[in-house]
Amino acid sequence: MKRREFLRQTGGGVLAASAVGPFLQRLNVRRAATWLLIPMDDSQGDHLKAYGVTFRTLERGAKSEWFLNYRGGSFLVPADSATVRDAALAGVSAEPLDDGAVAGIKAQIEQENMDAVPLEKAPKVAIYSPPNAAPWDDAVTMALQYAGIPFEKVWDPDVIGDKLHLYDWLHLHHEDFTGQYSKFYLNYAGAPWLVDMVDRNSHTAQSLGFVSVPAEKRAVAQNIAKFVERGGFLFAMCTATETLDLALASNGVDIAAAYADGTPMDPAAASKMHWDQAFAFQNATLFQSPTVSQFSDIDGHQVNSPDRRQPLGSFTLFNFSAKIDPVATMLVQNHRQVIPDFYGLTTSFTRHTLKHGLTILADEPGAEWVKYIHGERGEGTWTFFGGHDPEDPQHQIGDQPTDLSLHTHSPGYRLILNNVLFPAAKKRELKT
Amino acid sequence: MKTLATRGRRSGVRCWLIHAAWLTSVTCCVFAVPARAQQDNLTQGFDLERRGNYAGAADAYRAALKAQPADVGALLGLERALTALNRLPDIVPQIQAALATKPTASGIYGVALRTWATLEKPDSARKVLDRWVEIQPDDEAPYREWANLALTRRDRAEARRTYVQARERLKRPDALAAEVAQLATLEEDFPTAAREWAQAIRRLPGYRALALNTLGGTPDRNRPVVLRELEKEGSAEARQVAGTLMARWNDPVSGFRLLSGALPSSGPQAIEVLRQFQDALEPPATADAKRAQGMSLEAMAARTTGTQASRYRLDAARIYAEAGDSESARRMLGTLAGDPNSPRGVAADAGGTLVSVLLDEGKIDAAARELSQHQGSLPPEQLQQLKRRLAMGWARAGNLDRADSAIADDSTVEGLDLAGRLKLFRGDLTGASTLLRAAGPFAGSRDDATSRTAILALLQPIQDDSLPELGAALLDLERRDTVKAITGLERLAGKLPADAGGAELRLQVGRLQLAGGKRDQAEQSFRAAAAAGAEATTPAAFLELARLLNSTGRGAESQAILEQLILEHPQSAVIPQARRLLDEIRGAVPRT
Repeated sequence: MKRREFLRQTGGGVLAASAVGPFLQRLNVRRAATWLLIPMDDSQGDHLKAYGVTFRTLERGAKSEWFLNYRGGSFLVPADSATVRDAALAGVSAEPLDDGAVAGIKAQIEQENMDAVPLEKAPKVAIYSPPNAAPWDDAVTMALQYAGIPFEKVWDPDVIGDKLHLYDWLHLHHEDFTGQYSKFYLNYAGAPWLVDMVDRNSHTAQSLGFVSVPAEKRAVAQNIAKFVERGGFLFAMCTATETLDLALASNGVDIAAAYADGTPMDPAAASKMHWDQAFAFQNATLFQSPTVSQFSDIDGHQVNSPDRRQPLGSFTLFNFSAKIDPVATMLVQNHRQVIPDFYGLTTSFTRHTLKHGLTILADEPGAEWVKYIHGERGEGTWTFFGGHDPEDPQHQIGDQPTDLSLHTHSPGYRLILNNVLFPAAKKRELKT
Repeated sequence: MKTLATRGRRSGVRCWLIHAAWLTSVTCCVFAVPARAQQDNLTQGFDLERRGNYAGAADAYRAALKAQPADVGALLGLERALTALNRLPDIVPQIQAALATKPTASGIYGVALRTWATLEKPDSARKVLDRWVEIQPDDEAPYREWANLALTRRDRAEARRTYVQARERLKRPDALAAEVAQLATLEEDFPTAAREWAQAIRRLPGYRALALNTLGGTPDRNRPVVLRELEKEGSAEARQVAGTLMARWNDPVSGFRLLSGALPSSGPQAIEVLRQFQDALEPPATADAKRAQGMSLEAMAARTTGTQASRYRLDAARIYAEAGDSESARRMLGTLAGDPNSPRGVAADAGGTLVSVLLDEGKIDAAARELSQHQGSLPPEQLQQLKRRLAMGWARAGNLDRADSAIADDSTVEGLDLAGRLKLFRGDLTGASTLLRAAGPFAGSRDDATSRTAILALLQPIQDDSLPELGAALLDLERRDTVKAITGLERLAGKLPADAGGAELRLQVGRLQLAGGKRDQAEQSFRAAAAAGAEATTPAAFLELARLLNSTGRGAESQAILEQLILEHPQSAVIPQARRLLDEIRGAVPRT
């Protein structure tokens, strides 16, 4: 107690230092250590929270660096008391370094397929989510909450009201932008949550002046596309990937079943699609029957079609040249290169429906589908990742939420968090 | 001539017989070959279908139908295979051929009806229905199929109309009762569902399990009306269902009373109903559920004879004892004891159960007497277990010498554990530690193992070899006299140095206070334990304090404590638990 009283009298800064004293002692921080290396290889205590510690460092205005391909994509952050404390509380492993050691690492980075990317500003994050969405039913929401990365929720009125310009990064999860409620009518008719979903969407479409939910969702999709064109970062998972593109490409074409908009789908819809307006896909075959709970052949796994469903395998992350292709390299930083696959309403993307010129970040070798893709549109970028929850491969509606404290080294969740931190990277001329 | 003529006639007869036999065998072969081929096609179809090769299965079924167009099994197989392939319209030629071949086969109409409905041809479907009704005027099947199709389209009104029409035409008010009940459940019309199920079961008792499953999911607020309707219906079957539902809905004893008055007179049927009642209780968690299970076992015993009846009685005695109903347990055991036909093993088990009942009641002397009577017939393991329970009973009664002698010959790890605890009650800390360590980490139940580890953790920092005050306090705790135990432990904590047991005892006191609902006192004890400066105790005291604060809605204070714990004691074993709690408070993970 006497020691603490003494410290309190000598000032807050010293007190803060004393609070992390034992932790620093454990880290063997020398007086000269000015940096902390957050390793992202197998020595890391909590891979997911490491992103949060780095993010908060940026929020405090400090500069950090992302060492691509160095020890699983490690981070270099200042060894200030706040960061040391944050890492200690989060259980994130951090190694103290002096300037000399940092110079040594950078020399190695210069020699090998590695790069040091400066991280400058914490991006402002938005998650597109209905107001009544279950808080634990979206992998990105769970990842951000676990890592302690702040975000705001937006929904249709915000997107139609052009509030997306307030954010740098937008995430979409399992929304159905074709306005057909993910075709859940087939299996969940009468379920209270579906009734609520239909009521809420119908009411919102009406209040925003649209004739139907599909029409309103298409307008939302178009505003999201504009957000990217203006320089926004878009990250979509699960069925949001496929339906966003279907909504954009079906401009002026009725692809919604009668239960959604009161009119049957245009039988010739497939031939009238404007694929040039889509982000990633082209020439997909539309599944027009309302009794088939899939949208198109974009998805390779077709989880809800007993006769087309494909078994889960593993997907492999591609290697990129860190110095020539830093963006793609950032998005695949991981301590594992082969990752078990996981289902979603849209699990994967068939190769024959992919547009030319996009970047495949991960695929299942030998299979007809890929898992993780990236591209540019206007001033911005988009990334699509198939599947619902990397740690719940057979996720069902109503399942217990995934507890990420039991999956602190999840390579699948790391891919999500790579996307969150990627907008923080200092922009520079890209070579591809 | 005569002979020749006779011979010639005989020869002609033989020739005719041989010819006839040859013709018969040829005819049999001609018809047997296609029948086998037909069976092969069907078998191949089933096999391919099971393996998921629906296209191959469809071909096999088509081949079968080519030979026998009205084979309902093949037609149904083709329907399944084509449905899986999303190509049901392809079945139309086969249906037309089947109807042309055998226009009175009921099974074909079902397939036809489903196909026309899927093809969205309501007029054709209606014609098929009318024809089906015409050829099977007393059958429920056409109406059931039509209503099912309506339900598939979520057209409940049409399904309801169909059921009403069926009852009028069939002149049977209970026709399709199970279907009407399921529709009513879907529409949350629970009184109708109850009434209809009662009718369905009365007609076909096999529906009981389905009725129980369906009605079992009735929301809380609708349960009374369901029970009322079933009782109003009055039949024995309805009361059986009501009683079983009550068991499922946390009123098992009343449920059994209702059910027991409505049991079938036939023994096997009654046992079937009683088994369903027991299934509804699984797992019997409450004392009432256990008592009801005991009552149902007793009822089963009354309807059986011989060894099986003795087993039911013994099981009933055990479950009554677990429910705390010693009187009923003893009644069952008394019946067993008085039954000269009880098998020897059952009689021994009954003796052991009686000792157990007496120990539960705290009648140590009586239990000791019974045990000495039965010890020759009890299996050694059960005997030692009962002796250990008897020893603990003596210890609680304050007679540590008799407790020691009861387990003198027990060399099991559980025996070592108990001997260690008896030493502890005497205050012999060194002896207690030695024996408890020797018992190892896995002896006994999980609770026993955890409590043994907790005792060792408590004793570890204490320097003294002997502390009778501690033994007395822990014995008070064993006797459930928590107030006296806390007083003793607090007094001792004041005497011992903080890092030599004082802080650890305060931590234990806090835990006991918290378990007793005294949160303020517990908080003080945890704070005192944390502040005492005992390196081994402080992190655990911080964690307990943080949990307590969080549970009382003081999340911010709890968070500060946890942060202090993690930062100041990074090597402590409680850090993962502290981080988990911190994550929960921050909303980073779901609350457990």
